[in-house]
Amino acid sequence: MDKERIQLSASLYSLSSYYIKEIFSLEDCLREIRDYGFKGIEIVAAQMVPEYPNPSDKWLGEFKELLDKYELKPICYSAYIDYGIRSDRDLTEEEIIQFTLNDMIYAKKAGFPLVRTQHSISPAIYEKMIPHCERLDIKLAIEMHHPHHPRVDVWEKYIELMHTKGKGYLGVVPDFSIFQVRPHKLLVERLLKAGFRKEQLDRVLELHENKVPLNETLKLDLNALEKEFTESIYEKFNPTPIEELSTLIPVTPYIHGKFYYLENGEADECIPYDRILPEIKRLGYEGYIAAEYEGHHFNMDIDVPGQLRRYVSICSKYI
Amino acid sequence: MVLDFQYDELLLPYRNIINKRAGDVCYGYAIQIRYPSYRGTFVSCIEKLELQVDGKSIPESDMRFVLNGKEFLVSQLGELSKEHWFVLDTANIVVLRDNGLTEGNHEISVRMVHRIPYTGYFGQYLVLDSVNTKTLCCRNYIN
Repeated sequence: MDKERIQLSASLYSLSSYYIKEIFSLEDCLREIRDYGFKGIEIVAAQMVPEYPNPSDKWLGEFKELLDKYELKPICYSAYIDYGIRSDRDLTEEEIIQFTLNDMIYAKKAGFPLVRTQHSISPAIYEKMIPHCERLDIKLAIEMHHPHHPRVDVWEKYIELMHTKGKGYLGVVPDFSIFQVRPHKLLVERLLKAGFRKEQLDRVLELHENKVPLNETLKLDLNALEKEFTESIYEKFNPTPIEELSTLIPVTPYIHGKFYYLENGEADECIPYDRILPEIKRLGYEGYIAAEYEGHHFNMDIDVPGQLRRYVSICSKYI
Repeated sequence: MVLDFQYDELLLPYRNIINKRAGDVCYGYAIQIRYPSYRGTFVSCIEKLELQVDGKSIPESDMRFVLNGKEFLVSQLGELSKEHWFVLDTANIVVLRDNGLTEGNHEISVRMVHRIPYTGYFGQYLVLDSVNTKTLCCRNYIN
């Protein structure tokens, strides 16, 4: 870590729409990320590694050289727990262990100190990965993404492992989606496009904002589709209290700074960065926060470079 | 209804349809498709692959799926859990049809039902039904 205790990195996944539409190559993504002011990167292997799932030493070495060229630190190699790749059965525990071990070896070869995995790894497998982490000297962290939060049963088990047998190697990657308070602009546009009448949607959002219970809101004049969407708004925008960060930060090696749409470089209307970032700092977090723009799930035509620059501007106010 | 994962538009890139020849016989045509997502997948996650050309459904037995330099029957796709489809790569659907397609525009519609392999933790996998229709041009290249 350089002078500041908290630094900004970016997940290359933020540039998904530009990459998939072949506006940016992998190297373009790195150069752009560097130009926006980020110091390190995360790569989602299943997205940007052409030889996935088994990249060659040659590819991994060349990627490492690209990172050196753009003075970007390798921060996180993101892996999936793809239980469902076979049509006849789910992958076995042993297959998940071996595939995760593969990802850790590839990450190490490319210079990454951390692999991000998914909560579906299970506490039993996660514990079995500890000796592999120690031998390779690489961290294996689980992303906590909406709809999870620290009080979900399985997370209590994970957090215990992170504090005990896996201390120093296992950890959580909190994703700020758990703190989303209201739908972002791109989702609202999707809801309207899917047929939610504007007047009704405005009313639902107003009642949700005023914490009117779901069963009351459902008494509005809503059709079946609008009811279904209303339920999903209430389910999704039910944020984890920011105070829960005190449970997570002691076992957090890396953070996903999720965002969907920024109107300006001042504030995120949906995820309260103005409260989250000071709290993270107060709790003594040292490490990277990765910009993780995810608006491309809703709209592929947004100016993502502009979004990432706004993100840097907002975060710089607090870290 | 799924409001995110809006990638169906990627299924059919704007690429020409190409007639396929064996010697001096034109035996069919090839349409390029991409995997409609932000990440790659394993071919075994494709649960259904359907094609309509100018409003007419193409029988599965007249289709071949070509990826990573290998050619498969549509009925084999479910077995291909070791065949990764990189998100920037195009696969070819080769349709067997005497004399191929006429030169000019054709309405192509592809439907792919595909399982998202990391989403099974609540017991059921998210299965997306992606459809994309475009007017594409057939050029009578020798290929």
